[in-house]
Amino acid sequence: MSDMQFGPSKALTFGIELELQILNRRDCDLTRGANDLLRVIERGKSKSDIKPEITESMIEVATGIHERYADALEELRAIRDTVVTAADRLNLLIAGGGAHPFQHWHERKIFDTPRFKQISALYGYLAKQFTIFGQHVHIGCADGDSAMYLLHALGRYVPHFIALAASSPYQQGVDTAYDSSRLNSVSAFPLSGRAPIVDRWAGFVTFFDKVRDVKVVESMKDFYWDIRPKPEYGTIEVRVFDTPLTVEKAAALAAYVQALARRLLIERPIVVDDDLYLTYSYNRFQACRFGMDGLIIDAATREHVTIHQDIVATCEKLAVDAQELQSSAALDQVALWARERLNDARWMREQYAQTESLADLMWKQSQYFRTGA
Amino acid sequence: MNPADYPFLPAWPPALTPLAWVAVLLLTAIVVGEATRRWLRISRVVGYLLVGAVLGPHATGVIGADTLATLRIFSDIAVGLLLFELGQRVDLGWLRRNPWLFVTSVLEALLTLAAVYAVMRLFDVRPVTAAAAGVLAIATSPGVVVTLVKDLRAQGQVTERVILFTALNTAYAVVGLALIVGWLHFESARASITIAHPLYLILGSLALAALLAAAMILILRLFGRQLTFQLAITVSFVLLTVAAASALELSVPLTLLLTGMLGRVFDRDRHFVSLRFGQTAMLFVVLLFALAGAGLNFQGWLAALPMALGFIAARYLGKLVPIMLLARPSSLTVRKASLVQLGLTPMSGLALLMLHDLTKQAPLLAQDIAASIYLAVAILAFAGPLALQFALVRAGETEEDAK
Repeated sequence: MSDMQFGPSKALTFGIELELQILNRRDCDLTRGANDLLRVIERGKSKSDIKPEITESMIEVATGIHERYADALEELRAIRDTVVTAADRLNLLIAGGGAHPFQHWHERKIFDTPRFKQISALYGYLAKQFTIFGQHVHIGCADGDSAMYLLHALGRYVPHFIALAASSPYQQGVDTAYDSSRLNSVSAFPLSGRAPIVDRWAGFVTFFDKVRDVKVVESMKDFYWDIRPKPEYGTIEVRVFDTPLTVEKAAALAAYVQALARRLLIERPIVVDDDLYLTYSYNRFQACRFGMDGLIIDAATREHVTIHQDIVATCEKLAVDAQELQSSAALDQVALWARERLNDARWMREQYAQTESLADLMWKQSQYFRTGA
Repeated sequence: MNPADYPFLPAWPPALTPLAWVAVLLLTAIVVGEATRRWLRISRVVGYLLVGAVLGPHATGVIGADTLATLRIFSDIAVGLLLFELGQRVDLGWLRRNPWLFVTSVLEALLTLAAVYAVMRLFDVRPVTAAAAGVLAIATSPGVVVTLVKDLRAQGQVTERVILFTALNTAYAVVGLALIVGWLHFESARASITIAHPLYLILGSLALAALLAAAMILILRLFGRQLTFQLAITVSFVLLTVAAASALELSVPLTLLLTGMLGRVFDRDRHFVSLRFGQTAMLFVVLLFALAGAGLNFQGWLAALPMALGFIAARYLGKLVPIMLLARPSSLTVRKASLVQLGLTPMSGLALLMLHDLTKQAPLLAQDIAASIYLAVAILAFAGPLALQFALVRAGETEEDAK
C-alpha cells in the first residue's frame, strides 16, 4: 500500500487558479509571451503565485488560501492588475475565456520544462490542442473521507459549474454550437472523466495503487478528472470551469462552490453508489452544449429541470450558508446570472454579432478582463 | 543546310526577353535559396542574395545593368509590400505605454549617426559626406527583418522590438537623408530650398499616407473581412502608394511605412484580418533579394575595406550602447537586449536605394564614400540575416520545426 496521505486542511477554505490567454495587440491571436511576462512580474515582486503553463501563450495565476469571498476577490483583482500592467509594458494583451476562438494549435510552442516536454511527447497534437484555459477551484477538506464524499456529492452540480462559466463557444475560427467547447478537448485525453466510485480515502488509495502498479499513471497529476482530490493540499479541485472573462466572475463562482460544499457536508444528502453517475455524462453534455438552457436529469429524483432554474433553486437553498460564509453578494450575483440566463458564451456571441470579427471579439474580451465591466 | 529554308526556326542564339531573365533569376534564386535553408540551415535570403551577386553585372555579368533596370519594377513592388507590412506591424501606442522604448529608439539612431560620423571624419571625409554615411547607417533592412520574421514564424519580445526599432530607424534614415540633401542645396543653392524640400518630403508623405490609409480602411469597412479580398485590396493600395509617392517626388519608403502604420491606427473596429502577404509576395521577395544581390558592388574592395570596417564597427557600437543601457528600464533582460541589437544588423536593398538616390542628387559628394559603403552594405547584407536568425533562435522565439 502506498503512503499517499491526505494532508488535512481547514474545511471550506478555498483557493482559485486561473489560466489566462496571452495575446498580441496586432491581431489578438495567441502569442508567445509567458517567459517575458513572468520576468517583468518577478521584478515587480508580486506576492501571488504566477507561473507558466504548458504553452508559451498561457499563464497561470493562483490565489492563496481564503475563507472569505471578499478577500479572494481582492487578491484576484490585485493579481489581475499586476499581470495587465506587465503586459502593457510588453505590448501584450491578457484575456479570459476558455479557448482562443481562432488560434491554430500547430502554431503553439510548448513551454520549456521537462514535464511539459514529456506531456507533449506522449500526447502529440493533443498537447497543443490542449491550449485551453480553465479555472480550478480548490476546497479545503478536514480529512480524506470527507474529501471523497464531497467530490462525489459535487458531481450533481457539475452542469451548473459548466453552464455558469462557459466561455468557449468559438474554436478554430467557427462557432462550435457549444457554450463550452473546451471540455470536449479535455475528453480526448485517456485519463479524463470522473473519479472512481469510492467514498473512503483508503478505498481511493487502493484504486490509485492499482493503476500505478500497472503503470497507467505515475502521479495524481496524470488524471484530468472533472473533480480530483489533491492530497498534498488537503483539497478537492473542481476543474470543469472555463476561465471566466473577468476575475470578478471567477471569485463569485468559487464562492458558489464553497457554499455548496458547506451545505453538502452538513446535509450529506447522497449515497455514493453506482447509480450516482447514471445521468452524469448526459447532464454534462447538456451543460456544455446548451449552457444555461441545458436540460438535466436528477438521478435520485428522476426529475427533468433546466439548468438555469436549478441554479436559482440551489441559490435559494444556500442562502443560510452564504450568510454564514459572508458570500451573499456572490450568490445573489450567481442567481441573477441564472435568472437572466446570461453566461460569458452568450456575451461573446452577442459581441461577435456586432462586428463579425473574432479578432475584435478578443480585443473586447481583453478590455473586459482589464476593467471587469 | 540553309537556315533561310526554315524560316520558322529562331535566330541563334535566340533573343531573350526580360521575362526570360526574370525566369532565370527566379529559378536559380529559389533553388539556391532552398538549398541554403535545407543544408546550411541559414535563411533563404542569403541564397537569393548570393545568386544575384554572382549573376549580377559586378561579377559574371550574366544579368546586365540594363536588364536590372527593366526588372526594377519587381523590386519596387516587393519593397512596397514589405515596408507596408512593417508599418502595419508597428504599434505606436506601445511607445506611449513603454516610453523607454521611444527613448531607446531615438538614442540608437543618434548614437549610430554620431559614431559613424566620427569614424568617417577620422578617414578625412568631408563633414556633409560623413553625416550622409551616418544617416545611411541608422536604417536596418526592413526587407530582411520582415522576411526572416515570417520565415521563422518568430514571436516574442526580441522579434517585436526588432520590428519596432527597424520601422522607426528606417523612418529616421529616410527623413535624415532628406535633411542632408537639403543641407547640400544650402551649400550650393538657395536657402529656402534647404527647408522647403525636407518639409515637402515629410509632410507630403504623411498627407499622402493618411489619404491612402483612410481610403483603404473605408473600402475594407464596406466590403467586410474576406481574406482574399483584403489581400487583393491591400496589394493594389501598395502599388498605388508606390506610384503616387514617386509621381509626386515624395519619399516612397516613408509613405509606405506611414500608410501601413496609419492603416492600423485608423482601423478602430479591426477590419483588417491578420494580413499575411506570404505566398503572394514570395516571388517578389525572391526577386527583390536577387536584385539587391545583383546591386552589390565589391569593386576596389581592398582599398575600401578599412573604411567599410570602420563604418560597420561604429554602427554596431552606436546601436549597442543605448539598447543595452536601457534594457532594464524598458522591461527586457540584458541578454535579450543584446539579441535585439544583434537583430538590427541587416542592411540591404534599402541602403542601396538610398545610396543610389544620394549619388544621383550629389555625385561628387557620394564618390568619396561610395565604394566603402557599398562594401559595408555587401558585408552586412550577408552577415545581417545570419545575425538576425541567430538572435531570434537564441531568444527562443522561432517555430520549433522551422529551421
